[in-house]
Amino acid sequence: MTGVPRIVNRSLLGLAGLLLAVFGGSVLAVGLGVDPPSWWLHDSRHDVLLSDADRARWRDDGWWWPAVIAVLAVAVLLAVWWLAALVRRRRLAEVLVDTGDGAGALLRGRALENVLAGEAGALEGVQTAQVSLTGRRSAPEATVRLLLEPHAGPRDTLNRLTTESLAHARDSAGLASLPTEVRLRGAGHGAERAP
Amino acid sequence: MSEPQGLKSTQHLPVIEKTTESELGQSTSAADYIPLPAPDAAKDGSGRFWSARRVPAAVLATAVLAAGGLLLYDVVAVRADRTAMHWRGPLARELAERPLDDTWVLVGAGVATALGLWLLVLATTPGLRGVLPMRRPHPDVRAGLHRGAAALVLRDRAMKVSGVRSVRVRMGRRKADVRAVSQHRELDDVRADLDATLADGIRALGLTRRPALSVRVARPGRKG
Repeated sequence: MTGVPRIVNRSLLGLAGLLLAVFGGSVLAVGLGVDPPSWWLHDSRHDVLLSDADRARWRDDGWWWPAVIAVLAVAVLLAVWWLAALVRRRRLAEVLVDTGDGAGALLRGRALENVLAGEAGALEGVQTAQVSLTGRRSAPEATVRLLLEPHAGPRDTLNRLTTESLAHARDSAGLASLPTEVRLRGAGHGAERAP
Repeated sequence: MSEPQGLKSTQHLPVIEKTTESELGQSTSAADYIPLPAPDAAKDGSGRFWSARRVPAAVLATAVLAAGGLLLYDVVAVRADRTAMHWRGPLARELAERPLDDTWVLVGAGVATALGLWLLVLATTPGLRGVLPMRRPHPDVRAGLHRGAAALVLRDRAMKVSGVRSVRVRMGRRKADVRAVSQHRELDDVRADLDATLADGIRALGLTRRPALSVRVARPGRKG
């Protein structure tokens, strides 16, 4: 996965959805005549969303405005962080290569990506290949996007990718394993008749 | 891309022919084809692909940033002895005067509820319905095939059956729906050939859960 983990995205989306659904649903229910429990925000269908008394309840307390400003500031900062993380795609800058002599070496992530993409693109049945590395530099992960040539068999092409390109990249970088996610698309072409 | 088949100089054709031949021997009729996953499919499968929900997340983050930023700016401005923006007075008045059974309040609440439920659905469902999980060729490798690519493979195979004039393949998550138009051959023969070829084609997709196959063959209509 690149960028923010999907868990973060999904948790925040779920939280926002829950808040909207609970408050929207409660206003809808009370507005349509359901009797709310006594401790609920609204008393009856003739109540208003936010009365002047509610709005001004803590206004004279010293902590009110600082608290409002702090909460808003935190929300804004979180939103900025979230947006920035969504836009920025985290890619692995370098991969740690175990050279066997205890010293190790650093391989540029972009270089490994290019080599892997070049090898995968040259495979039979593959039109183009895109590779991006994520994860940590001692445990990189790869995401591969393949565009299949017309008439290429997906299963066979995937097997070739695994046994040739991925195995080669893993061995040449001295990695114990290279977890990989592959997505295969097909290059569109017109219908052809067999002669 | 329409080389004659006899021309062996192309790179990709021989492999397709080889797999077709070696596997055709295993599947002689459609009755042999069982659309159920193999017993070890759960272990070997790639599992469902889960979308990162990047776009809805970006939209929500932008909305929170805009609303929060505006409110923060105005609250701080008022604290610094400037005048509040003009929308705050009317907004506070509307909130304090409209009863809950007012039409617009109900409409707004309905919209908010629907939006909230939709966000909950987005948060909890995998999405990426267009990606079909494939069997893992190696424990480290997860793979997914886009539905369009799967349909293309099946269509190409179906077009190779003699007597088939045109094919439409609709690839669902559980079922491949194939409609062929045939001329110059018995429909039942064409159908039997298509069944065998496509069962083989579905195996060549290498999916975790092999889709069921539905084949319909018809004569061309008057309008073609």
